Amino acid sequence: MREQRTEDGEGIRIRGVRKTYGSTIALNGLDLDLRHGEVVGIAGPNGAGKSTLIRIIAGEERPDHGELTFDGRTWSPFSDWQAVAVVHQEPQLFPNMTVAENMLVGREGTSHGYPRLGEADAKVMEALGIGHLRDVQLADCSLATQQRTEIARAVARNCRVFLFDEPNSALTEDESAELFREMHKLAAEGRIVLLVTHRLEDLVEHCRRVVVVRDGSVSAMLEGDALTEEAIAHQMVVDSSAIRGGKGRRGRVDTTADPVFAVNDWTHGGRAFRNISLDGRAGEIVALVGVEGSGSRELIRSFAGLERCTGTITISGESGVRAIDMMTAYVPATRQLSLYSNLSVGENLLVRLGSREIAGPALLLRTRRMKQMAEDAVVRFLVKTRTTSQAIRSLSGGNQQKVAIAQALHCAPKLLLLEEPTRGVDFHSKAEIYRLLRDYADDGHVVMILCTEVLEVFEAADRVHVVAEGTVSPSLSVADYDHVEQLATDITRLEQASRQGLAKAG
Amino acid sequence: MSMSSSEATRQLEGKRKVSAAKATVDAALRVGGLFVAVIAVALVFIIINPNFANPNLAVSVLRAMSSVAIMAMGLTLVIVVGEIDLSFGAMYGLAANTLAVIWIVKGVPIYAAIPIVIIVAVAVGIFNGFIATALKIPSFIVTLGSYNLLYGLSLWVSNTGTFNPNYPPPGGTVDPGQLNFFIGLTQNIGKYSLSIEIFWMLGIAVVVGFLLHRSLFGFRIMAIGGNPEAARLARLSVQWYKVLAFILCSVLAAIAGILDFSFIQTSQPDIGLSQTFPVFAAVIIGGASLSGGKGTIVGTLGGALLLAELQIGLALLSPGPHVQQIFLGAVTIGAVALDLSLTKLRKSRAS
Repeated sequence: MREQRTEDGEGIRIRGVRKTYGSTIALNGLDLDLRHGEVVGIAGPNGAGKSTLIRIIAGEERPDHGELTFDGRTWSPFSDWQAVAVVHQEPQLFPNMTVAENMLVGREGTSHGYPRLGEADAKVMEALGIGHLRDVQLADCSLATQQRTEIARAVARNCRVFLFDEPNSALTEDESAELFREMHKLAAEGRIVLLVTHRLEDLVEHCRRVVVVRDGSVSAMLEGDALTEEAIAHQMVVDSSAIRGGKGRRGRVDTTADPVFAVNDWTHGGRAFRNISLDGRAGEIVALVGVEGSGSRELIRSFAGLERCTGTITISGESGVRAIDMMTAYVPATRQLSLYSNLSVGENLLVRLGSREIAGPALLLRTRRMKQMAEDAVVRFLVKTRTTSQAIRSLSGGNQQKVAIAQALHCAPKLLLLEEPTRGVDFHSKAEIYRLLRDYADDGHVVMILCTEVLEVFEAADRVHVVAEGTVSPSLSVADYDHVEQLATDITRLEQASRQGLAKAG
Repeated sequence: MSMSSSEATRQLEGKRKVSAAKATVDAALRVGGLFVAVIAVALVFIIINPNFANPNLAVSVLRAMSSVAIMAMGLTLVIVVGEIDLSFGAMYGLAANTLAVIWIVKGVPIYAAIPIVIIVAVAVGIFNGFIATALKIPSFIVTLGSYNLLYGLSLWVSNTGTFNPNYPPPGGTVDPGQLNFFIGLTQNIGKYSLSIEIFWMLGIAVVVGFLLHRSLFGFRIMAIGGNPEAARLARLSVQWYKVLAFILCSVLAAIAGILDFSFIQTSQPDIGLSQTFPVFAAVIIGGASLSGGKGTIVGTLGGALLLAELQIGLALLSPGPHVQQIFLGAVTIGAVALDLSLTKLRKSRAS
């Protein structure tokens, strides 16, 4: 029987924490207990407040309201940041220095000489299996070693709370097994350990309890026999106010028509995926679902010509490089990769257009026409802005995202590719973005979206392929599901099946 | 949709005028500070010595800024696209020396010699741009190399000699018609002996200004300088535009070299090298950002004007060359500090 109760006040107690950004409520009175010696998993859809919670515990942000106590005493991680260690997917270290020097930065002691590794630090490094690498430059170490260095730094400075934030998404299987062994060791020594990951199987395998954060508070706590992948997937989407904007119009896709877009035998140069066959018909929104490292991101990027691949691709009669260059447009997941902070809203909307659309004789810009086009685009793409000449940064996240998508739509691609089109976007903009995508598909184009969340698939897509371990499942038709929970369960099953299939084959 | 869209259009119509006015004020704030400084410096000089208030002096200031301004406009393009060119000063020298040798010594007619020099400049621009973009060597390093390389070529071509078309070396002859044409490129005209070089500068400013602020090329290099990764993902041809910016920078440096040679009528192997930092100062005083995506031709002209004003004013007051250098340094830092505080002011106005 697992331990259920501890002394009152032991560990971290979070009570009634609220945090708002402008008009957006990120956390709405969240309560959570974290006990010494246990690994607690945190799951939740994007934009549910999960990352805000992590930032508050890591001391990067202060809550607006609420109370935190540590072993019964009032605690502010913002000022006591030394107590908390965050192990990132990308270690925040100094690649130009050696592993040992990385241990010492910020803890050089009081002597004015060049700092040298103490005995205690050496022991910590030994325990983590990086003692022999002490004089190797960090940039030459594997990602796993870099993460260990980060852990060693934290252990050496006596951190009591360890926060693992998507730690193994770029690690091999063996490396992540070892990382998790270290994680359990830290917990066994009485530290508080949190694991945040999109990989449900890791949450189930490594956590004593998993809390699901939704709409700014803890919506479910799973432990014991109730802690299964299906249950987490279910909790992430249950009772969510799914928008299902295009539901009434779904099913109009002519399934007998020839696909506009098809790939065969599509294999990644870097082995992220292999032998993939996919197609898309005019008017369809096709979703790809897969966690980080599954190959899904590489797959969608490959259709934009951003990854080296072999195989055949045809889009609307063109094939190969010509099809990719002329028929596709790609919207990356982060807006920083689409928007130009030095350009205005209007200029950002038109930046992908060429001489035919915005320039006249001698390639001079047709400014008046551009102004008109920008204003038309603002209306057509539902961008809320006072003027087209204001700075792009003055827009809300949702409206910036609409500008990013509008840039690509302006190119009129036959195949529109989007990575997580509504990441970090408020509820209202989300519905509008889905409507934009639906309208675009209805005009006879194929839209492909990479989703990390089932809810997005349910709300936006017609069909979904699950990507796992570099292979693609047969597609599920979203119209067959009345509830997002069923879809979530089936997607999780397909993911598990792919993994087991691979395990059997291997 | 239809109702909300027509409503939105109407709202935009109404706000268009407000926004245009506001944008003008913002632009005026940005460039305005600089021209306030230009006028203030002029006033200070005139207060110190009332004789300075004379049109001939104003003309010499404009003449003195011409070649710096022409080079600075080219450099502005390279800086806007997010790169650096250190080699334009050496290109200026190579242009003058090459022209001197092939025209005066080798006897190539001036009408062919000038296009040849421009072609050399295009080649240098392609070299800089291609090495920087295709081999992904930082342009600072590439052009630091080509600076020395071009200076070496100048020494080699000129055989470390000095040339003057009025006094051709033994064996060389200069056709008087060609000499008149060449000197005519920059000769002084009118009551105030206005050098034609000033008109070259103004003409080039109009062309490059249109190129940067009103053409697809300018729009694209602003975008590329602002976010190169986004530009790559949007499939703008980043490499092509960068190479083009380097070519324009080299060509403008060559034009400046040819015009100054025409005005001074003497070439030396090392001319132009000392122009490197003043030209950078003009661009930076003009408000361009070394991180790319920001810069205007009006600003760059203002920067060059301020520097020329200080240079001539201080030279006439003759407190010694050290004062000019100290002012150059102080003005460069001061201008950037001013620009930053004006940006802050604009932001506080916006919110």
